[in-house]
Amino acid sequence: MYGLAFGVLATQAEMDGIQVGVMGTLVFAGASQIVAVERLIAEAGAWVALGAGLALNLRLVLITASIRDVFAGRPRWQRLLGGHLSTDENWALLLAKRADGGTAGFHYLVGAGAAVLAAWTTSTVAGVYLANLVPEPRSIGLDFTFTAAFIAIARSLWTGRADLTPWITSAAIAGAATVVLNWDASWALLAGGITGSLAAGIASDD
Amino acid sequence: MTETWLVIAALAAGTFALRITGIYFGERVPTRGRAAKALRAIPGSLIVALVTVSIASGDAAEWIAGGAAAVVATRTRNLPLTMVAGMVVVWLLRR
Repeated sequence: MYGLAFGVLATQAEMDGIQVGVMGTLVFAGASQIVAVERLIAEAGAWVALGAGLALNLRLVLITASIRDVFAGRPRWQRLLGGHLSTDENWALLLAKRADGGTAGFHYLVGAGAAVLAAWTTSTVAGVYLANLVPEPRSIGLDFTFTAAFIAIARSLWTGRADLTPWITSAAIAGAATVVLNWDASWALLAGGITGSLAAGIASDD
Repeated sequence: MTETWLVIAALAAGTFALRITGIYFGERVPTRGRAAKALRAIPGSLIVALVTVSIASGDAAEWIAGGAAAVVATRTRNLPLTMVAGMVVVWLLRR
């Protein structure tokens, strides 16, 4: 369903099934794909779309770093393949299986990752064809779907009270930059993201 | 069209590099302290900024729909459902 949703969003950037399929297979990080496509639609430029997508994917460094024991002693091609297939879903599955006392390693990660990749690519491309059945996107509120998608992504990134300080800071700065200073959206995003991150570092007590 | 392909290629390469960085340099990625907190807060702060900017430049219908979407997201943690809820509220208010 998440995949279908991305396919529908991508058609608003006039992307076709091939572009969506290639993007899903090679980028394979849903939230960053949504953010990058939204910045393209907003005509913010390729650099902004790229920067926003990559900033969101910084968490993938933490994900692969936390399971790097899985790759110990593996040949390079397996590290590269397994790295590309590491994503929030199979990372969580792997940790859950281990927490249950099971053994889960490289093959578990790659198998689950390949399944997620196949499902993701297929459903995002299907979403493109689904969206083409809708005649007038704006009139049924499709333009708001990106905002709603961001709200859902925010919910999935929420880890607890420690997020409160950076999130409030980011919202206050991005909001003030937009409403009071009339900054361009991309600069407001940058200001919110950076000050939020700094606030988390400053508020940290360890 | 060309711009879209460029973004796809660069985002794919950059994302792959981030994933591989964790595998090869994982022991150097900070896991505690201020730098780790700041690093972890980047994706969430960016998404919150995106929500804020888009809500702040929208109309009253979008503010209400944003509230509805937030309620659905909090309760269900489901992205497509949140999108549908937001869309339906905007559609109802704009009719």
